[in-house]
Amino acid sequence: MTAVTAPLDERFEQARTHERAGRLAEAERLLRDILAQAPEAAEPLHLLGVVSFRQQRPVEAAALIERAIARGANLALCHRNLCEIYRALGRLDEAVAAGEQAVALAPQDPDALMNLAIVRYERLELDAVLDGTARGIALKPDHADLLFKRGETLLLRGDFAAGLELYEWRYRINGVAPLMPPTAAPAWDGAPMADRPLLLITDQGFGDAIQFARYIPWALARCPDIVIACSRELQPLLSQIPGPRGLYDRWETVPNYGAFCPLSGLPRLMGTRLETIPSPGAYLRAEPARRAAWAARLADLLPRGYRRIGIAWGGRPTHANDRNRSTKLASFAALAQLPKTALVSLQKAPRQAEIAQYFGAAPLLNLGPELADFDDTMAVLDSLDLLISVDTSIVHLAGAMGRPAWVLLPYAPDWRWLLGRDDSPWYPSLRLFRQPAPRRWDLLLQEVVAALS
Amino acid sequence: MDQRRCDCGSGLRQARCCDLDPASLARPESVDPLLPLLEAAQAALARGEIAESERRCLELLDIAPGFGPALTLLLALRQASGPPAAAEVLARRMVRLDPNDIAATCALAQQLLQRRSLAEAEVHARNAVRIAPQHAQSHNLLGMILTEAHRAHTGEYHYRQVLALVAEPDPTLLANLAWNLKTQGRFAEARSFYERSVAARPKVLQTLLGWARLEEADGDFTAAGVLLDLAEHVAPDDPAPLLARAILLRRQGRFDAALALLDRLAERAEGQHGTDEWLEKGRLLDRLGRPAEAFAAFEAGKRRARETTGLAYQAAAAQALAGRLGGFFTEARLATLPRAGVRGDGAQPIFILGFPRSGTTLVEQSLSAHPRIVAGDELPCVQDIADLCPRLLASPLSYPAALAELWMGDQHDGLDRLRDAYLHRVGQLGILTPEATWFTDKMPLNETHLGLIALMFPAAPLIHLLRHPLDVMLSVFSTHLTHGFHCAWDLESAARHYVLVMELVARYRAEMCLRYLPVRYEDVVQAQAAQLRRMLGFIGADFDPACLRFWENPHPARSASYAQVREPLHTRALYRYRAYLPQLAPVIPILAPLIEQLGYRIEAPA
Repeated sequence: MTAVTAPLDERFEQARTHERAGRLAEAERLLRDILAQAPEAAEPLHLLGVVSFRQQRPVEAAALIERAIARGANLALCHRNLCEIYRALGRLDEAVAAGEQAVALAPQDPDALMNLAIVRYERLELDAVLDGTARGIALKPDHADLLFKRGETLLLRGDFAAGLELYEWRYRINGVAPLMPPTAAPAWDGAPMADRPLLLITDQGFGDAIQFARYIPWALARCPDIVIACSRELQPLLSQIPGPRGLYDRWETVPNYGAFCPLSGLPRLMGTRLETIPSPGAYLRAEPARRAAWAARLADLLPRGYRRIGIAWGGRPTHANDRNRSTKLASFAALAQLPKTALVSLQKAPRQAEIAQYFGAAPLLNLGPELADFDDTMAVLDSLDLLISVDTSIVHLAGAMGRPAWVLLPYAPDWRWLLGRDDSPWYPSLRLFRQPAPRRWDLLLQEVVAALS
Repeated sequence: MDQRRCDCGSGLRQARCCDLDPASLARPESVDPLLPLLEAAQAALARGEIAESERRCLELLDIAPGFGPALTLLLALRQASGPPAAAEVLARRMVRLDPNDIAATCALAQQLLQRRSLAEAEVHARNAVRIAPQHAQSHNLLGMILTEAHRAHTGEYHYRQVLALVAEPDPTLLANLAWNLKTQGRFAEARSFYERSVAARPKVLQTLLGWARLEEADGDFTAAGVLLDLAEHVAPDDPAPLLARAILLRRQGRFDAALALLDRLAERAEGQHGTDEWLEKGRLLDRLGRPAEAFAAFEAGKRRARETTGLAYQAAAAQALAGRLGGFFTEARLATLPRAGVRGDGAQPIFILGFPRSGTTLVEQSLSAHPRIVAGDELPCVQDIADLCPRLLASPLSYPAALAELWMGDQHDGLDRLRDAYLHRVGQLGILTPEATWFTDKMPLNETHLGLIALMFPAAPLIHLLRHPLDVMLSVFSTHLTHGFHCAWDLESAARHYVLVMELVARYRAEMCLRYLPVRYEDVVQAQAAQLRRMLGFIGADFDPACLRFWENPHPARSASYAQVREPLHTRALYRYRAYLPQLAPVIPILAPLIEQLGYRIEAPA
């Protein structure tokens, strides 16, 4: 029997359906079939670009969409997508140009304004971000991404009053998982609640939980009965904060509660301002027996009299900003030239595999495989002279322990690291190093090495 | 009746030799009527009528293929005139028929030693000692095998057993013991045994050559020259003294003279150099700046090695081992395995890792010039432990799967036993001194077993020598090496094995916490003091200036680099590959990714 091929339009619609449903391989196969017959078809070129981008092939994606634009595809959408792809590639000038073109072609499209705002944020053109998000919000007042981006920008500038309010839009952003299963209980408003338990939920990443754990005593002063829903990994840390009745890692075991609040919502409820950030000193510490065991092990493994520097170069790969905040071990090459220095990698898989390609002068110990939990990491931090890490949970851990750590920040950092300062009001033991230009880890590491030398 | 002669070369019909069904053999007493035929064959041999003796012997064995005395006679004939494979087959059959046959057991061990199947040879030589503990030849064989297997100290014990067993030591035994002591670096003792051997029997070529090599290694070129004069006088037609002379001349820097000598040798042999002669010629041409001719000589040498040994790279076996090791030593599994404790009661190992010709000897000589570090040289102990691991852990599995026994309640301390077995073996080698805090183990390709090493010695320094892969390949190709599944027989197989091992190392490094330090050969020769401080600091030893003058280290190196490390530091071997780029072109695609990963580049000559 001879196969009957569907018309191109029909197949394009099928491809679009596959793409929307996340069936990218099927979409790609159909689109390539179509382009084999009609190589210059603009819409399929554009859609294949989108599919390629979603399959982590941004270079190919950019080339396809550039071709689509040249063939007269839906220009506003193409430029809007190209803006994001260029951003992913670090081609920020081109991203701005594409974003501006998209906005010019579709001035009523808040998504085009959003994409442009993201690029502007990466370039630290914060006035432009505030202007763009304001225009977008005026067009669509419940555009969660724009509201959240505006909140982040204000927070980055230190405007906690307005920023923390907008930060609450974080759970309404497209694709963000809900905080918790549906509940009839109200969100806590910060008022005293003596008669019923308050459920605190560790949202966001591990670092956020460590950072905002400092607010638990403040919440306890208002709600003496607190239970905490958190992952198993965080339990050894949060159990060090006195007061909460229990820690639960399964929703079905969480006891009844009168209200709930994400841990990262506490700064807003407390009315935190830059000058009122709670600074409780070291509030996490390593378990003594574990600390002694790791001290002995490191004494066996590391040369005597060498400065011990812990390093980590990547956070959770699924983090939305991972492309900017994480780097490669190779970026740390300059550290390997420091005399009488031993590097201790606290990096976990999959990025720990990069150690196999390290051939630097300083000894490098791959501790990642042996760090079973945060207790191990804290014990190791106690045996190090310094931690140098990108913005990941380990720096929060070091900060919460009062251990010295240098944080390597992207040009546009997360809001909590603020702007233009090398210290952190959140953690007195941290020193911040900032990229002088987007993605210039090399320049940043030069500064770090100069500070160490 | 199938009249085909057996492929092994015994002269017997195949059905009476390698295809023999043991169940078909007659009972021993039923062959008594054949004794007159045997006596006739023996009498022919006694008269020197070898062909007649052989004919009668073959007839006899065609009637009674399990007739022991006839097999003994045929074995003697095949040992005398070959082929060696037939002698091995016959000895093996005799041992199977009578496991207590001491003569056959010794003959089998001897054959295996000759074809350098040392592990199996050792098994049979040990059996010979078990069968007859007072049998001098058994001890002598075991002494020879252990000496060749880099366990000279244990070999010496067996040679000395022979000395105790015989009233008048054979001069060959004295020479063997002398060679054993030479390999241990005990030059003065070795010299005295050579003197005794030569005094008793002055005209033994092998003795004179061995003694000459001792003097050459000890730097007494004059004495070596005199001994070679004697050797040439004893065997004027033998090529070995001339080759030894050429090596001596090269060490004296007289490259042209050495080359001329080899050319003379080639003329005499009608161009048929052996492997050693070709490789030596290649090295001389390299020193004379004639790379194309040098490489052609290396190629001829390797080709000759393949032809004469019939050996080739065991790619499948190497791949299979790498697959098993990589599959076993994963982060998840390692997290569930114990680690051996660190012993505090004796010298601890420093593992100097690296592909052959990466600079491991140079680093060992430098480090062992330190008063607290002794040189262990190429210790076979890690491989021994890998081989013994199933037995030591009472496992039905082979290594590395046998390490799964560590999960058992009665084996969870098994790594301590493996560690102790390793240290015990090292102790038996006699290299440790009371003042030593560390000893080195520089067996090439020990990095294959990095996982096992790190389980047994989690705190041991692992110093990994890196060198431009093309320089490594060139040097491997210019040297006769047996390491790494015979990969060095061919340039491409050497490159493939190098990549295989480096990939395995990368896997270990990604999955495990290792006390690992990469050291580049290029850095060692260009920034010696800094690199030595770096390595000693890594080990935990104070810097000692003696390490800088490694060539004065009284410990003699025993690897192929023994001569290079007796001369002061030089940089002439740096980036030697540049002159050989056309010849190395076939392996560049294989090595290019690794070259880049290691941070090297491929550069043409300036």
